[in-house]
This record gives sequence, structure tokens and C-alpha cells, in this order.
Amino acid sequence: MFATVVVVSVVILAHLGIVFWLSVTDGSPGISSLTYTWNNFLEVFGDRRTFSVLLNTFGFAALSLVVAIAFGIPAAWLVERTDFPGKTILFTLMTIGLLIPGFAAAMGWLFLLHPRIGLANIWLMKWFGLHEAPLNIMTIAGMGWVQGLNLAPLAFIMTAAVFRSMDPSLEEAAHTSRADFWSTMRRVTLPLAWPGILAASIYIFTIGFAAFDVPAIIGWGSRIFTFSTYLYLLASPQDSLPRYGLVAALSTVIVALAALLSWWYGAMQQRARQYAVVTGKAYRPRILKLKKALIPAWGFIGLYFVLSKLLPISLLAWSSLLPFFQIPSARAFSVMSIAHYVALPWDLVLTGATNTAVLMFLTPTATLIVSLAFSWVVLRSRVPGRQAFDLIAFLPHAVPNIVFGVGALLITLFVLQKAIPIYGTIWLLLAVFTIARLSYGTRMTNSALIQIHSELEESAQISGASNWEVFGRVLLPLLTPTLLYAWLWIALLTLRELTLAVFLSTGNNITLPVVIWGLWLGGGLGQASALAMVMLAFMIPAIVVYWIFARRMGLIAT
Amino acid sequence: MIKVDNLWLTYHSGKERVPAARGVTLDVKQGQFVTLLGPSGCGKTTTLRCIAGLEQPDEGAITIGDELVFSAASGAWVPPFRRNIGMVFQSYAIWPHMSVFDNVAFPLLHLKPRPKKAQIQERVLRVLDLVQLGNYANRPAPHLSGGQQQRLALARALVAEPRVLLLDEPLSNLDAKLRDEMRIEIRDLAKRLNVTTLLVTHEQIEALTMSDVVAVMKDGLIVQAGTPTEIYSRPKDLYVAQFVGRTNLIQARRTSLESADKIRVSVETDLGAVICTASASYDIRLPTTVAIRPEDIEMLDSGEDGSSDNVFEGRVEKVVFLGESVDCFFQVQNIPLVLKVHPARAPASGVNIRVRFPVARCLAMPV
Repeated sequence: MFATVVVVSVVILAHLGIVFWLSVTDGSPGISSLTYTWNNFLEVFGDRRTFSVLLNTFGFAALSLVVAIAFGIPAAWLVERTDFPGKTILFTLMTIGLLIPGFAAAMGWLFLLHPRIGLANIWLMKWFGLHEAPLNIMTIAGMGWVQGLNLAPLAFIMTAAVFRSMDPSLEEAAHTSRADFWSTMRRVTLPLAWPGILAASIYIFTIGFAAFDVPAIIGWGSRIFTFSTYLYLLASPQDSLPRYGLVAALSTVIVALAALLSWWYGAMQQRARQYAVVTGKAYRPRILKLKKALIPAWGFIGLYFVLSKLLPISLLAWSSLLPFFQIPSARAFSVMSIAHYVALPWDLVLTGATNTAVLMFLTPTATLIVSLAFSWVVLRSRVPGRQAFDLIAFLPHAVPNIVFGVGALLITLFVLQKAIPIYGTIWLLLAVFTIARLSYGTRMTNSALIQIHSELEESAQISGASNWEVFGRVLLPLLTPTLLYAWLWIALLTLRELTLAVFLSTGNNITLPVVIWGLWLGGGLGQASALAMVMLAFMIPAIVVYWIFARRMGLIAT
Repeated sequence: MIKVDNLWLTYHSGKERVPAARGVTLDVKQGQFVTLLGPSGCGKTTTLRCIAGLEQPDEGAITIGDELVFSAASGAWVPPFRRNIGMVFQSYAIWPHMSVFDNVAFPLLHLKPRPKKAQIQERVLRVLDLVQLGNYANRPAPHLSGGQQQRLALARALVAEPRVLLLDEPLSNLDAKLRDEMRIEIRDLAKRLNVTTLLVTHEQIEALTMSDVVAVMKDGLIVQAGTPTEIYSRPKDLYVAQFVGRTNLIQARRTSLESADKIRVSVETDLGAVICTASASYDIRLPTTVAIRPEDIEMLDSGEDGSSDNVFEGRVEKVVFLGESVDCFFQVQNIPLVLKVHPARAPASGVNIRVRFPVARCLAMPV
């Protein structure tokens, strides 16, 4: 167990190490005349494009945060603090909403608000006699809007937890101290929820900051880059050799920024925990009766699901059935066919599907085995310095995934290629996917292991069980529900993973989302839509299994 | 000052219906210190929360001062923030994001018209001095000890000079010694400020030491209300006798009247005939139990005259030393009983003793 933990830790650190190392070297690695230099950083900061990309990224992340919060926080408050009737279903839909691939929603929104072919634009121009498209999705604002809709469930889940952990008697005390509803909200509820909301905001901002799907689908065509798409551009330029030194330097800058955000997030989380007053008494949280406000509340929730899911997916379906995208009309209906589905490059799709299926099975399995080893070493063993492993397991969360993609690319190309040629195989994807999910995995196994008192294991030992028997007969049965739940969640995330796969896919190890991305990039919008629809259809049974299981565990029902 | 009339409230949790108050009626006079006493789930906290306006009852009416704050019949409803009350919560509910000063100043900020800054300052510091927190005004509230948080909650409840002070198990989170001090302190403060106070507790000692009136509750109803002495020495029924203090119970076989005023009764028990005083709800036709408190049983010295009523001979089984007193477990005719004596008079276990049940303290009550 300890060996596993050490090996994985070294691999994680090596990913970051090679990025740092390459950022301060000159020329192409592998060449003997390598010199150390700051030139890469000078070039990165000397290029005005870097600043415009960073500015884009900040704008995009900030906007997506605003949108996510505008939908997520009111929804969380409705669920936790009012008599809103659809609590269970809202939790379910929000959780599942997190699983719908970001690129699918982005494609749908492009069909709606593209300046030339966008459905809404064409209609608006016709109705109001406009000469120019009023709305353009291919902007930072448009990308932020779509990313924000995708991240709203996260804002919802995180702030719901904040509202739930607040001692309701703090608000009741304000009421009996003469403060009315709004004064209580302003002086007590919001200030108390603030650190938790801020922590959630930083978390969401960090994700938006590193997002790839939406900027890639929407921004690539009009050459609007955020740092992750810009990194991709630098790493795989169409007309020149990749400049890995620059890629590494830019990645290093991003890691520094991400570290700053992580530190801030940690500080806020600590404050939030101080405010969450835990008392022994079981409280009936203060529930506001919505009465007439129920209709606008449903309207608000309905609006969110229409905007974030129904509308983009409908447009995706519509586009997949037409030879070329057009507004609904008699002619459009007459030419509808499944031609795109038939014409898909099926051998490529089958390769991608097979690889994705294998990864969906292996990634969660590997992640959870490694996570369990990490948790056990950190929480149960007495190895000196074991806390360091907890920190290492947290790295894939703090550092944008794409940097690990870069690191993996550099390691396999320049260090491993001769010894272990895994470049271009799905084993490379497996390794990087596993690292990327390790933070989530260890968080799950940590909390599960903490709940199992070590005396349970000790009493098994005293009853004569060997270490392996203790693990197999006591720990594993107790951990099984958590492990199964986490397994399903990671499997579903693996299915939709585009960012890392795009960096590391060549031919043989292509995954389904990368095939979609390739079709989209090649201009086959109809085919890309068709394949995205196929993928969504395949997600349905997996989501149903997840949903049934999560319900049984009581993880979805509040 | 507080009038609660036939209060009903049922909680709905899912499909389950949990009746919490089933016709509570209560009258608290201006300046009185009244305690609602009962086990958890008896409806005492629900009643308090209804008076505060934190719960809306299904039936009944509540008046505070001469203002009708709730009436199911007329639909009257005054929200908690306009009821002019002060409340101390079980968890204290100290706002962790504010300083001690800001916590106490909070109710003053919502007075209409809002007092001037200097006035707020003056009133906050005065009430902080009152609860001996004068030196802590600028501390962040979470940096206080449990006892200090308790005082702070009290200061916050009192600062706006409310008509009514509501206390929801305010002492349950303190350690035993602090509790002893705060019991006296809270009562003194309430009396000094002449504020009408309603306390909710499940600790009989709090009810007995702090209150002018104790109302014992059971299953959403007030069973008996009276002065602490009345509740303790003249419990209305078995439930009150057993909930407040310890008591010896002796099953009765048959009862007959001893005096015409129906107060003295003779009860036939396994011990023999016991002459008792009848409790208020006593009915001679119902099955009867005799109740007597351990400290009321007199142990007779060997030379003392044993010819009066209710003298029995028993055998000491076990003696338990409690410090200030001794519990002496003994048996009369195989019926286990306990009496309490000063340690200096403690008998040895195994010896025979003679005991007397004073008629005035021997209660006959329905089972």
C-alpha cells in the first residue's frame, strides 16, 4: 500500500516537475546542449497575446461565476429554507446536470446564438427588422454565459450545504431581537453564509478559469482563446513545431495563479467552518412559507433547466437531423433525415467508444484503489510525514487538469518514450485520468475512513484477524457503499472528459469526446451533433443506475 | 402579562402528525417568574416558541401585555420582531460574526425611532455591566467562554427593555457549578428589573429554585401550576409527584374516609393502615397510591414514643452516603422504601428501625 502511494506521489510530482524544469530550459529537451534560461518566461510576458489571453480567461471565469451564482444560490436557498415542494427532484436534476458534457451545451448554444446561423438571431432580425445579429455567443460574454449555466449546479450544491449547516436559532434570535425578514437577511443570514459562499465562489472561479470544453467549442472558430485553449494551440500548432518551453512557462504561471486561488479557498473554508455552529440539538430549520411566491419560484427553476439543458440539447438534436443548419420551416422538416447518423465515421467512432468504455471501467477502479491507499496511509498508518501525501493528493484539485495534461505529454515524449513507450496508448490516458480524479477519490475515501472508528479494526485484530483479513472483512464491507457511489461518479466524469483526452489522444487511443471534437473542428457540425446525441443517449442508462444508487444511499434525497 | 388560551399545535413531518401542544392555557402576571417544567417532548418549548412568534399555532389565542399577538379565531398575527420580547436560546445563538458590543446593540438598532449612537453606546455598556461583561465589549463573540456567552445572550435579550423575557433551557449547556451560580443570578436580575419571565426547563431544581410559579407539563398539556412549595409538597397526581423530586410509592388496596371534610383518609396497604392527606384530584372510588418523600419519613430514636399514627418497623438493607445526607434503603413487610437522614444519624445496614409517616406529608392520590 505504502509503495503504491509513494509511486503515485512521485508520478504526480514528476508531472509538475517536468513542467517547471522545461519552463527554465532552452531548446528542445533530449538534446545534450540544454541550457538554463529565463527566456521562455521573458517571451511569454513579452507577448501581448499572453495578456489578452489572461484577460479573456479572467473575464470568462468571472462571468461564468456570476451566472452560476445567480442561478445556484437562489435555488439552494429555495431548497434549504423554504417549503418549496420539489426538493428531491431539484437535487436529482442538479446533480445529473453536472454530468451533461459541457461541450454538448456549448454546441447547442452556438446553434442558438451564432451571429450568422443562430436561430434566435435570425428570428430576432426578422421580427425587429435588424440588419445585424443582436446577440453573439462567440464572445467572452457568450462563453461565460454558457459555462456559468454548466456550473450553476455546483454553486447550488455547495451553497445548499452552507445554508444547511447554519444554526437556525441564529436567525430566530434576530427575529426576537426586533429584526424583520430583510434586516435578518442582511445582518445575520448573508454575513454568516458569506465565507461559505465566497469559498464556493473561489472554487467555481477556479474551475471556470481552467475550463476547456466551452471555450474550445465556442471560441476556437473565432480565435478567442482562454488560457487552456491557448495552451492547446501552443502545444499543437497547425503550421509550426510546438514550442514546449513556452507551453511549460505558461503552465507554470497558471500553476502559480491556481496556487494563490487554492490558498484563498482554504482560508475561506476555515472561516466558514468556524461559523457553522454545531449543536447537539436536532433542529427543525426555519422554513419560510412561499405561498404566492411558489409560482415565480417554479418559474425560476424551470427557466434554468430550459436554458441550461432543454434548449441546447433540443438544438443539438435539431442540427443532427438536418443536412445543414437552418431555422425550422416546412422545407427544413421535409429534408430532415438521419443521414448524419449513418454517415458518421463509424470505425473511428467504434474505436473511440471502445476506448471510452475501457477507460470508464478502469479509471474509477484505479482511482479508488489508489485513493484508498492514500487515505489509509494518511489516516491509519504511523509513517512519519504522512500528511505530505494528503497534500500531494490535493494537487490535482489545486492545479488545473490541463497542466497535468501538459506534464503527461512532456514526460511521455521526452523522458519515458524509450523506456516505456506508452505515448498514444490508452494506458497514458488511464494514468492521467486517474491522477486527475485522485483529489475527488481521496476526499471520498478520507471521509468514509474517518467515520469508521479505528477501534473496529483493532478489535478485529485482537480477535485474531491478520491485516489482510481486517481489510477484507471489516474495512471493505463498511466502505463498499461509498466506493460504489464514487466509482459511478468517476465513471460518468470519465465518459465526458475532453480536456485531458484532447491533449493526449493520437489515433489509437482516441476517445468518444475527442472524436466529436475532431468532427466539430473539421466543420462537420451536423455529424458532431449526431455523435453528441448518440453519446447523450448512451449516458442515460448510466445516469439511471447512478440515480437509483444515489437515492438508495440517501445522497440525493435531502 | 402573558395570556395563553387553549393553544394547539401539531407538527407535520412528512405524513406523520406530531401533536406538540394540545390545549395549553397559561396566565403569567406582570413581574412574575414562571417556569414550564416537563420531560422532552411535553410541549414546553413549543409553547414558548409560540409565545415568541417563532411557531404559528393551529388553535387558540396569545396575548402579551394588552396586545393580542395571535388568535386563530380572528386571524390576528404579530410577527416575532414586533412582539417586544427578549429571548435566550438554548444554544445562546450568539452571532459569531459580530463583537460582544454589536451582538447586544442589535436589538437597539431595530427600535423605532432608532436611538442615537451615544444612547446605544450607553445602554449597551450599562446592560453589559449588569451581566458583568463590561470589560469584554470589543471582543469577538466566539472568543467567550460558555458562561460568558450565556450572560451575553441574556444581555442581548434584556437591552431593549422588553415586556417579556423568554428563556429556552438557558442553563443546559453549562457545567454544574456554573449552573448553580447562574440560577440565582438570572432570578435576581429578572426580579431587579421587574421583567415578566417565562423559563422552559426539564430540570426540576431550576424550576423549584427560580420560579414564582411552576407549571408542570405532560403530553402537550399543563398538568399542575402552583408555587414551587405547592408543586413539591402537594403534587396533584402521581406524574407530578414522580417528576418533581423523589418519592416512595405504596400501592393501596382499599380506602375509607377518616374525616368528614374528605381531607384525612385511611388507606389499607401491605404495610397496614396508613392515614393520609388526600390530594386535590383525589377520588375515593379510584385505585389509590400513597406517596411520601424520603426526607419526610421520620426515623424514631429507640426511646421515642411510637404510639401515634403511621409508625412502622422495618429493616435497613443498604446505606448510601451522599455527603450532606444519607439515603437509607429499608423494607417494611417486603416493601422497599427509602428515607433521607443527616449522616450523623445514619443507621448501620441490617439493623431494625422504627419510622413514622407524618400524616400531613403522606399523600393519597389516584394512580
